[in-house]
Amino acid sequence: MKGELREARLIEGFATLADTLVEGYDVVDLLQTLVEICQDVLAVDAVGLLLADETGELDVVASTSEDPRLVRAMQLGAEARPCHRCFETGEQVSLVGLDGAPAEWSGFRDAAEELGFGTVAAVPMRLRETRIGVLSLYRTDTTALSDADLRAAQALADVATIGILHERVFRETDAVRTQLQRALNTRVVIEQAKGVLAHTHGVSTEEAFDLLRGYARSNRLGLHDVAQQLVGRTLIF
Amino acid sequence: MADAFTDALQELREFRGDDPSRLAEPIARSFPVSGASISTLGEVLSSETVSASDPLAARLDELQLDLGEGPCWDALRTISPVLEPDIRHRPRGSWPVFLPAIAQEEIGAVFAFPLAVGHLRLGAVDLYSVDPTTLSPLQARQASALAAVVSRLILRRALEAASDDEPVAAPVDRYSRRAIHQATGMVIAQLGVSVDDAEMLLRGHAYAEGRSMADVAGDILNGHLRFTVETDGIEDLA
Repeated sequence: MKGELREARLIEGFATLADTLVEGYDVVDLLQTLVEICQDVLAVDAVGLLLADETGELDVVASTSEDPRLVRAMQLGAEARPCHRCFETGEQVSLVGLDGAPAEWSGFRDAAEELGFGTVAAVPMRLRETRIGVLSLYRTDTTALSDADLRAAQALADVATIGILHERVFRETDAVRTQLQRALNTRVVIEQAKGVLAHTHGVSTEEAFDLLRGYARSNRLGLHDVAQQLVGRTLIF
Repeated sequence: MADAFTDALQELREFRGDDPSRLAEPIARSFPVSGASISTLGEVLSSETVSASDPLAARLDELQLDLGEGPCWDALRTISPVLEPDIRHRPRGSWPVFLPAIAQEEIGAVFAFPLAVGHLRLGAVDLYSVDPTTLSPLQARQASALAAVVSRLILRRALEAASDDEPVAAPVDRYSRRAIHQATGMVIAQLGVSVDDAEMLLRGHAYAEGRSMADVAGDILNGHLRFTVETDGIEDLA
């Protein structure tokens, strides 16, 4: 994607992110929107977002596809460099050509290569000293992401991070932790809701997520709220 | 009696102790009977008396467990109450060994309620009376309600006791956890149960089959295993 078109989409992406950051917004909604914008704007084939839990372990919270194989590869990637190193250092880390990956992360390499990925870049979700997670970008070819793409990715990640760590909660580390933990817990409820919909609609769990997100969007509801109601059987659609 | 039932319901719901041996007492107090007992039996849990309110209640349980027949077995098999208001003179069930055996005991009536969570059959609650007597439909429903609370309690205890053992406690990686949550959602939809019950059923099923939760979750997600509310309780489509 070149020039003006790309710029227009990037601006639209920032506007969408800003729109998501309304009072009482759903963190998982925000992060899901972020990965979708990244896939739309950057020259990448898959995007995942990992948040750190209380123990500092990274967990996949949003991804451009709910394909279990992709989620698994991204989760394996959390423990391998570059995601892990990116989170530790707060710096961007890229790996071009997964063949060069050392033996200890062969699990990640195999899972990523099975999906045809050749390149991964990890962009930190951080504000000053506070690191909350990693945005992971996957490409099927073995060429590095352009500097422009990496800058755009970082800028998008920064907006989302600042949104999460906004003034009020930023003063209290506990409040940030609570917020992040809630996002991770939301993911649990979303998985359960996917199971409910997979059964009631006779679809795969990937399609179930699309149904869930579609319903939440068209009714202007948060993913968490819709998922919670589906799991509690107070909402049936 | 209604108050005794409400108290018993609350006591059982709030029970978090280590010693379940007194759980039968509040149940016995809730109904116009002489005593009550709780036993585990069947394929999931080993046969044993968990609690008996008095020696005769314990004896009634022991006889059924030893003989392998009696109201508690039928209640568990059919997942419905077995009511014997005058078991000595006009028994409804046919138990060729059990009936002659209790003729020796001072037992006039027996009411058995199944202990089950979803499709998992765990045991039974038995009420007995020295003299023939009846339970009203309301009392029978109340006894079923107490049995439902006891069922969850028994299963939770069994799972906690097993959680030190493989493979139920096998470490679950983050990816597998997603699949377990998804399978939990499938069970919620299949049985119309709460999240807590769905998780307990999943874990209970894994425990009963000696498999890991991740394994069972995989079977549920690929459709090989489906929990249903039919009489058989479960379809194994593998």
